[in-house]
Amino acid sequence: MNIKDKMRARLKLSRPSLRAEARPPGQRSVCGSQFSAANLPGALQLQHCTDCGHIQYPPAELCGACLGHTLIYRNTACEGTLLAQSQLHHSLWEYFKRRISEAPWPVATVRLNAGPVVIAHLVGRDFNAGDAVQVFSHSDASRSVVLLAVSASANIETPQLRQDIVAAIGLDQPAERQHGI
Amino acid sequence: MKDYSGVVLTAPISLGYARQSPHGAAWFVGSVLREMIRAAGINKVDIDGFSVSSFSLGVDSAVALTQHFGLCVRWLEQANVGGVSGILAMRRAARAVQCGEAEIVACIGGDGAAHRSFEHTAAHFSNWSTDAAFPYGAAGPNGPFSLITAHYMERYQAQREDFARICLDQRYNANHFPGALLGHKKLSLSDYLNARPIAGPLHLFDCVMPCAGGEGFLVMSEERARQLKLPAVKILAADECHNAHADDPIQDRGGWTRYIHDLYNSAAVGPEEVDFLQTYDDYPVISMLQMEDLGFCSKGNAPEFVGRTDMRFDQSGPGMHKLPHNTSGGQLSCGQAGAAAGFLGVTESLRQLTGQSQKNQVPNARVGLVSGYGMVNYDRGVCTAAAMLQGVDR
Repeated sequence: MNIKDKMRARLKLSRPSLRAEARPPGQRSVCGSQFSAANLPGALQLQHCTDCGHIQYPPAELCGACLGHTLIYRNTACEGTLLAQSQLHHSLWEYFKRRISEAPWPVATVRLNAGPVVIAHLVGRDFNAGDAVQVFSHSDASRSVVLLAVSASANIETPQLRQDIVAAIGLDQPAERQHGI
Repeated sequence: MKDYSGVVLTAPISLGYARQSPHGAAWFVGSVLREMIRAAGINKVDIDGFSVSSFSLGVDSAVALTQHFGLCVRWLEQANVGGVSGILAMRRAARAVQCGEAEIVACIGGDGAAHRSFEHTAAHFSNWSTDAAFPYGAAGPNGPFSLITAHYMERYQAQREDFARICLDQRYNANHFPGALLGHKKLSLSDYLNARPIAGPLHLFDCVMPCAGGEGFLVMSEERARQLKLPAVKILAADECHNAHADDPIQDRGGWTRYIHDLYNSAAVGPEEVDFLQTYDDYPVISMLQMEDLGFCSKGNAPEFVGRTDMRFDQSGPGMHKLPHNTSGGQLSCGQAGAAAGFLGVTESLRQLTGQSQKNQVPNARVGLVSGYGMVNYDRGVCTAAAMLQGVDR
């Protein structure tokens, strides 16, 4: 194989679309990684400011209200209201491209009763703006924590129940290439 | 606020639009610089101020470009604020000229479009975006904007046909502007409505096409422009406001509301007197927010407003109310060339107000309003800016 063909083969192999397994985006900032670590034990942990009590998301190094630096991850109520939802038919990331080839991927904006507005994977399709929902955190197939929004009636009491919801939408497994390499 | 008297904008350049390009951002910035020097009939040494906006310069900064281009400047700025970078650069440069810190400032936005570079930009746009928006479907800006659009449609009963009004009239304008990447294609209502779905209510023609390109203009004193016999435009008023209405749970207004009345007062021109409007049209709903917040109609009435308004440059549409809007086709038809997209409305305004537009000239354009919006740090565009511009009588 000459150099040109070798380079072409290498370029081809570096394409995400040719990989056997594709995973959700795993890149996070330092604060994002801390969010992942803090959320492994419970249903939902958000940053609480010990100075002013402000609860914030996305995670940051300082409190967005008082600029205090003593932020602690604490258990936060999962309840919220769905503000808007959207079915994604197009993605820039191979994992979602493969999932979307089977069905559009639903996401939503949710205002938590605790205050912050979050973007989350939406589990289920029968939602309207204004519906009561619950938001919980779970690690995905990239071992990064993401948020999921489910209906207010869903049972998310135990880690196993939450794991089952994540497994049902395939978020805990890589998306496999259909026809081999 | 002190006015911008004595300062003008001149030598608008738009070049190099391409879907993909082997060239880097520096190529586009430098090429715009070369063309504006040629257009103004000056020498490179006459430029003593330099403002650059780009997403894809990588480790190079504005100062690296001065060495690349052999520029010696006493005023330097890098304004990486996406959709407001053109108006921001204009405001900063105008003050520099007014205060004597620089005589001629080159304001340039440019970005390349290498294979898969848009994916990289979207995945690493900001920390909050990387942590809390991109993991949810990795749709890039389409994700947050599909949610903003869905919310707007629900709250104000907007229909896809209303968004089509903006896209179709812009495409008509682009059909008369040779620089527009999609200008060779016509767009009909059925093309628009039957386009493939992208994200929620957004379909193909609601989304801009990422591309490469460069835009720029020169800022200098009115007297210098007259000596050089350059057609020029003055700033009647301009303002900006960032992260306004942060407590709105989902965006349906922007910072324009904070200053637009002052802006019209300082300019002594109202929205009904402008000859054209250039909005930042990354998605049609965002143009609607601007029409509302800039006072062309009340909040929630943009669907009705665009329904009765003819937004073509030549006023050839059926709408009784006339308002030429995004007269070069905007980003929706020209393509979104990274940070250059924040300059597109400004350079198009300069061409219109100096009679340098070719086939898409708005007849007797004297005063125009240009607006900027940008930087989806997490769930919404944070930056806003607006400027009222007027052609200088020659």
